[in-house]
Amino acid sequence: MRESIIRLEGASKTFPLPEGGTVVALDRIDLEVSRNEFLTLLGPSGCGKTTLLHAISGFVQLDGGAIWLDGEDITDVPAHRRPVNTVFQNYALFPHMSVDRNVGYALDVSHVAKAERDRRVGAALAMVGLGGLEKRMPRQLSGGQQQRVALARAIVARPKLLLLDEPLSALDRNLRQAMQIELKNLQAELGITFIFVTHDQEEALTMSDRIAVLHKGVIQQIDTPRNVYDRPGNTFVATFIGASNLFEGTPRRADGKLSLVTAGGEVIHAVESCNKHPPDTGSVTAMLRPEQFSLGGSGDTRSEAFMDIIVEQTVFVGSNFEILGHTAAGRKVSAVVPASQVNRIAEVEDTKRARLNYDPASVHLIARQGPQA
Amino acid sequence: MSALTRTQRLSAQLGILIGPASLFLAVFFICPLAIMAIYSVLAPGTYGGVVWDFYPHNFGRILGFADPDFEIYDPVYFSIFLRSLKIALITVLLTLLVCYPAAFQVSRLPERWKAFGLFLITLPFFASLIVRLFIWVLILKKTGFINVALMDMGIIAAPLELIYTDGAIILGMVYIFIPFMFLPVYASVEKLDWSLVRASQDLGANGIQTFFRIILPLTLPGIVGGSIIVFIPALGNFIVPAVLGGAKVLMLGNLIEQQFLSARNWPFGSALAMLVMASVLLLLYLYIRFEARRGDEAPAIR
Amino acid sequence: MRLLRNIGAFGLAAYTLLFFAFIYLPIALIVVYSFNADPVNMMRWSGFTIDWYKKILGFKAVVSETALYIESIDQLFRAVKNSLTVAAMTTTIATILGTATALAVYRFNFLGKKFYRVLMFTPLLMPDIVLGIALLIFFVSIGITPGITTIVIGQCTFLISYVFIVVSARLAGMDRTLENASAYLGAGEWTTFRRIVLPQVMPGVIGGALLAFIISMDDLVITYFISGVGSQTLPLFIFGMLRRGIKPEVNVIAVMMLTFSFAIASLGLYLRTRQR
Repeated sequence: MRESIIRLEGASKTFPLPEGGTVVALDRIDLEVSRNEFLTLLGPSGCGKTTLLHAISGFVQLDGGAIWLDGEDITDVPAHRRPVNTVFQNYALFPHMSVDRNVGYALDVSHVAKAERDRRVGAALAMVGLGGLEKRMPRQLSGGQQQRVALARAIVARPKLLLLDEPLSALDRNLRQAMQIELKNLQAELGITFIFVTHDQEEALTMSDRIAVLHKGVIQQIDTPRNVYDRPGNTFVATFIGASNLFEGTPRRADGKLSLVTAGGEVIHAVESCNKHPPDTGSVTAMLRPEQFSLGGSGDTRSEAFMDIIVEQTVFVGSNFEILGHTAAGRKVSAVVPASQVNRIAEVEDTKRARLNYDPASVHLIARQGPQA
Repeated sequence: MSALTRTQRLSAQLGILIGPASLFLAVFFICPLAIMAIYSVLAPGTYGGVVWDFYPHNFGRILGFADPDFEIYDPVYFSIFLRSLKIALITVLLTLLVCYPAAFQVSRLPERWKAFGLFLITLPFFASLIVRLFIWVLILKKTGFINVALMDMGIIAAPLELIYTDGAIILGMVYIFIPFMFLPVYASVEKLDWSLVRASQDLGANGIQTFFRIILPLTLPGIVGGSIIVFIPALGNFIVPAVLGGAKVLMLGNLIEQQFLSARNWPFGSALAMLVMASVLLLLYLYIRFEARRGDEAPAIR
Repeated sequence: MRLLRNIGAFGLAAYTLLFFAFIYLPIALIVVYSFNADPVNMMRWSGFTIDWYKKILGFKAVVSETALYIESIDQLFRAVKNSLTVAAMTTTIATILGTATALAVYRFNFLGKKFYRVLMFTPLLMPDIVLGIALLIFFVSIGITPGITTIVIGQCTFLISYVFIVVSARLAGMDRTLENASAYLGAGEWTTFRRIVLPQVMPGVIGGALLAFIISMDDLVITYFISGVGSQTLPLFIFGMLRRGIKPEVNVIAVMMLTFSFAIASLGLYLRTRQR
């Protein structure tokens, strides 16, 4: 367990709404981030991720709770005294200053000696690949270049923590993917903790050491990308990340096997294991991701876990086929199968029926509705 | 109408629209100014007319190169010019300092309060100038509000000399020019991108540094615009010194007025007016250069 | 730290309140003191009375005659009449000429257009005293006696620019596609102008006219130099009284002028917000 660099305890923030009433942006959040970690705050708009970022950087005053940075309580320390720097979504480059003066700003306000200041500015610009553009003004730069200047400006002061507020959202797809890789490399090179905010789950899954999924001011789950994807802690995370088929039902045990019976009569077979112990009563939700299905033939009885569906649509998406349909009870199901299963797919398209096989051991069970601690 | 071609028809339309105003301004604006310029280098007649001789000594009386046989150079004129300059500049500065924080606050208010605040600022602009000055006479004079209140409360024994001072003039001018300064400054302040202020703080700058490095430079256009709009009428003003300065404080405006209505030396008065014009034109020229240099940096590359 | 930040915010808000107080308390002061019954010292409060208002409006008043010096209010009424006459004429001329010029600049591209725009701005940048004496010299040189006509002409020189700016701003914000649509649908130029452009630009024209009216009523400097003996306007009247000595009637007149100005300004604003 790496040592933590920043810790929030019980962080709360409520905002008044212009039309009256209030909204809870942060609901007693506890968070611990390790040194050199690349943590992503992920969630839909309004979930509180930007507020959380602003609380850490100091632009937002918490109503309750505390923040520790490297062991020091910074809850009441104003933004300009926190060794935390931010890369803003709109870059916020000073339009009346050249690239050189923008990047060197943090050093200029702390009166660093000129030689050292120039050296560090040069190094930061080189690190983001913009060496030689010192004299340009922000409006003479492209979007990607502006973004790098914002990055250079934020790292030149060697902050303990770098906050990035959806920095790639304004870039086009190719540039964004290239920048994702560059950011990852930069983080490794600098050895600084990055806290990254995004609403793009693909981005989060690609870049992060850990992802914190937020919703309504609460951390729903915080775990590695793999775990968040394979083992979502509640239905929100399950639906927010990736596509999923959710089946809510009551668990039944027979012959040492576990099954879930839904209201519509569908039966899902699952396997109990040390980390999947649904209670005997109450309802449990089973999750099957579309790619966990494979097509079975009509005479195929090898697999005992299968689902028959009526097919509404088959969609060709290049390397895969998407099969959209519903069960006899009317519940919608989507499956993704590789295009190589071309024969079975033809059969499905003719008969408008499909048998979807799955592995019971890979069925993920969600017992809780609330956020995972 | 179809006898005329389309071009002829359009030209006629343009002529009708622009003609009258252009003619009017040419006759009643440009001509008078030109004549005044000519008068400034003519000699004054004995009983108030003009003598059509080239006479540079009007300017000489002011600036110092008088004909020693005829006029004695009186430095009082130039000192009046300097004093007017000084008062105008102090007025600009004070008006700016008074308006800037208020403009800031108003720009941070919710929408409806903002509109109301702007309305409150512009409303006095529509009240007559003379009324707004009259108010201060009532407040500052020997038997005015302040003196009466202070004496009744026993704080002073004899009335204070508040009116008919440089201070009273500056106070009056600031009061009158607040709407002129507030609106341009407000326009600039309102456009300020607050994320830049946050970025500055994020990078370690405290309030003062953020103000001088970010806020001030970015609101400079409004400041400069407002300053010019205040300076121009402040320099040549004669109403405020007449009302609040009495006979004691003489500014350029009063001097000019005297030349035209009592001393009847129109050429000299014209020369003084030319001095005011020259100052204003110089200021505008500097402003245009300032604007050009700002926008002169190489255009955006996309 | 948090406290310091809040003090800063509080300080700014308090300062702004002081700022507005500075602007409006003096105004409130003279409104209040216009009801002051003290016959000797206007600014020492000795009781409430509306006698001064009665006197100005022509009614008999039970008040010490030594306190007043308007023997008859005829002079005052004449000044008001002159002001209104001048304002009416000036507003009409300036609005027509200013609007015409704005339309021309909006619709046509012609040689020297940019220069022309600058020219329209110049009267506003001119210090009014310079303009005043230039006009005085001009009128005397060509032999026109100063009077109502000269005042109207003098005020128009800069009011045309005011109207031009207001109407131009309104035109700039207009949607050209409506014009194009109308032409495309076959409407002639005059019809397009009458039915599309004119209704849209009307608020700007009215705004410009109101502005011209108010400024004309308030004008002092230009009028001071080019008015004649019989053409004293209201601001000149008050200016003259100020130089001779203040009496309670002046206060009342001032308050009435303020009320009038504020009413018109509020009307203007109300109209503008309704147009949105």
